[in-house]
Amino acid sequence: MSPLDRRQFLGRSAALLGAGAVGLGVGAEVASGSQDAAPSAAEATERVLADELAARQPFEGYHQQGILTPRQAQAAFVALDAIAPRRNELIEALKELSYRAGALTQGGSVATIEIDDPPPDSGLLGGYNAPDGLTVTIAFGASLFDGRYGLAAARPPGLRAMPAFAKDGLEPDRCHGDVLLQICAEHRDTVVHTMRELLRTTAGVLTPRWRLDGFQSTKRGPTPRSSTRNLFGFRDGTANPDPSDAKLMERLVWVKPGAGEPAWTAGGTYQVVRTIRMHVEFWDRVGMFEQTNMIGRDRVTGAPLGGTHEFEDPRYDLDPHGRRIPLSAHIRLANPRTPATEDQRILRRPYNYDRGLDEAGNLDQGLLFVAFNQDVARQFETIQKRLEAEEMADYITPVGGGYYFAPRAAAGSGDWVGSGMFGGPSALGGASRPQMQTVR
Amino acid sequence: MRSRRSFCRPGRLRGATILAGGLGLVVVAVLLGSALAPSHSDGRSGGVASEGPARVANPLAGQVTRVVGTDVPAARFGEEVAAREDFEENLAGEKVSDLLPISPRRFAKPVREYKAYAHGWVERAIADAEALGATLSTGSRAAAERAWERAWGDYMHLGADYGLFGRLEEELDGTAGGPKASPSDPEFVGFRRLEWGIWTGRPLRSLSPYAHRLVADLKRLRKALPGVRIDALDYATRGHEIVEDAQRDLLSGMDVPWSHAGVLGTAAAVASAEEVFTTLKPLLSGREDTEPEVESWLHRLRGLFASLRHDGRYPSTTQMGTEERERLNGYVAGALTALRMVPSTLETEAYEAPPSIGGRR
Repeated sequence: MSPLDRRQFLGRSAALLGAGAVGLGVGAEVASGSQDAAPSAAEATERVLADELAARQPFEGYHQQGILTPRQAQAAFVALDAIAPRRNELIEALKELSYRAGALTQGGSVATIEIDDPPPDSGLLGGYNAPDGLTVTIAFGASLFDGRYGLAAARPPGLRAMPAFAKDGLEPDRCHGDVLLQICAEHRDTVVHTMRELLRTTAGVLTPRWRLDGFQSTKRGPTPRSSTRNLFGFRDGTANPDPSDAKLMERLVWVKPGAGEPAWTAGGTYQVVRTIRMHVEFWDRVGMFEQTNMIGRDRVTGAPLGGTHEFEDPRYDLDPHGRRIPLSAHIRLANPRTPATEDQRILRRPYNYDRGLDEAGNLDQGLLFVAFNQDVARQFETIQKRLEAEEMADYITPVGGGYYFAPRAAAGSGDWVGSGMFGGPSALGGASRPQMQTVR
Repeated sequence: MRSRRSFCRPGRLRGATILAGGLGLVVVAVLLGSALAPSHSDGRSGGVASEGPARVANPLAGQVTRVVGTDVPAARFGEEVAAREDFEENLAGEKVSDLLPISPRRFAKPVREYKAYAHGWVERAIADAEALGATLSTGSRAAAERAWERAWGDYMHLGADYGLFGRLEEELDGTAGGPKASPSDPEFVGFRRLEWGIWTGRPLRSLSPYAHRLVADLKRLRKALPGVRIDALDYATRGHEIVEDAQRDLLSGMDVPWSHAGVLGTAAAVASAEEVFTTLKPLLSGREDTEPEVESWLHRLRGLFASLRHDGRYPSTTQMGTEERERLNGYVAGALTALRMVPSTLETEAYEAPPSIGGRR
């Protein structure tokens, strides 16, 4: 193709693009061009907005989205490392990341700027990026608070690199990271598009370290409240704290002002991510009785052993010796349901993962364990150490993940997720505090 | 003989597994259920006609209410079938197990036989570990590789003794520090240390102390072997668990990252599983079809391993062609399915449904 041909070709494309990009919604930028096809494009856009793709989660506010938000069907987790040599470059990249994430979650028409330039959006979702329930949750790993960017004083005190627990088989290239993106939406293409756009936004400053895709099991009843199943076939999440209980979330999830934390961490939460390989072929060879004893629940109904429905109290007080539910059963160790263990509970938001085969031809599947908690040591780690005694541990191998801190949300337009750790607007509940020393 | 994580397995099986034999009942229940279903609406009957095939009304709906030739209400029969399937007891609360549990005492002889087999392999491992020590002082790297393979292959034949020797096992395996132990780690010893040193070009003489320590540890193992206790059902479970661990840790390359000797290790694990199976044959005889099933898979695997072995040596997992590798992966998976039936066939106790919450039922 000669340069001239190429130019003509682009010219024709411009006309088509213009037609397709007629905008509704936030931040629409429409290229000039023929408007002949406008009515049908508008119709198409309206159709998109009216249907299941229209759900929109607020990005700005006090708490970040994607934490209490009901789990969407699809997810991607991407950990990034900061490679920028200067603090200002990092700040700019985090700003851009936050702005772009915010715009994508709210949806809007795809902008075209210069016809000679690569389009600013990959166009995977067409001329209009429907929100599709998209949330982008941005969190930071302990390594970001080392000496590189002058952030040591801002480090949330409960944040450290995830240690290897007794039975972990952690692979270093699947662990940790300076920044974690949790991208969730109702459809896979929305997640893929978002990941691609965000990686493009931060290229050169934040470089990908590991990533993993997740999916949600379909709700199959018998009631709308019934928990979905994990890849061992058991219902998972039965005893999860209710995210709509704001008082409970204050006790279990959100970091409170004061309490030895730097001011900027208030309204944030500690996020634990664990890639837990489930040896599903091994599990599928286990007798039903042994499976239920390892979990502590009936596989079909999800009822605690000896019970009849999923949400029944397992009444450990009536079974102190584990005659009904073994003392090593997963549900018993995970949540003993005593007054002393009440404040150890965590808010789980897990996904399944399924990423091909291992060398021996076995499926590489498992649980993308995600938990939010106010205090990792008091909550997640206490539970995790108790679970070292569970027999199910023989059928799983944690291979990756990390600890992260998900700060409060962008306070409003102009603010961005993480500004507080640099002394920005969200350092103190939205008040502008430009100096670092005010942070601690 | 063990993988690191499997040390953490204080007996994967608790009590008896659910009894087989319920499968036939499920089929009956399903057939009966579909015949008797009073034209269950699936909620789509009023929908668009083009959505899926039309539903044929059940001609027996509302007519058949009793099990043919009896006074038993059909609904109750269905419940009973379900109860048998779920709880191995009937609606009166009586046990309906159709498989007699085996007395744990009958496992004493198989375990004794296995220990004699294991003793033989410890003796061979000691001799070959001594030979490895000598090769490290005087031999070539190629000779050291072969000597390591011989000693480690012997040791892997112990298979079903995993997890019984605690700390000593960790020292022999050298896996206490995790899959990627560092050379400066004092726990980085045993077979793993030697493997690392031989395959990554360390001076062979510098590895000699580890070979000496290995021999001493193997001798301690020989001494400890007669005294270890293996529970009946635990022993029956070990057959397939050895092979599962080989699949997870050796065929994946994870536990042999330098030699890639996963085929050698898996062959040894299969040999050890076969020994467990052989000792249990008298107990398995006549119980379900487990024995011929396992037999046929082990036969296939034996043939495959023989075809892979050239000049007394197995290929590394990295040297294998796609076809060989697929066959090995597939046969191991097939053998595991059969081996898994061994413990379920050898119940030592009848299944008891859990008591209900608060003592109802």
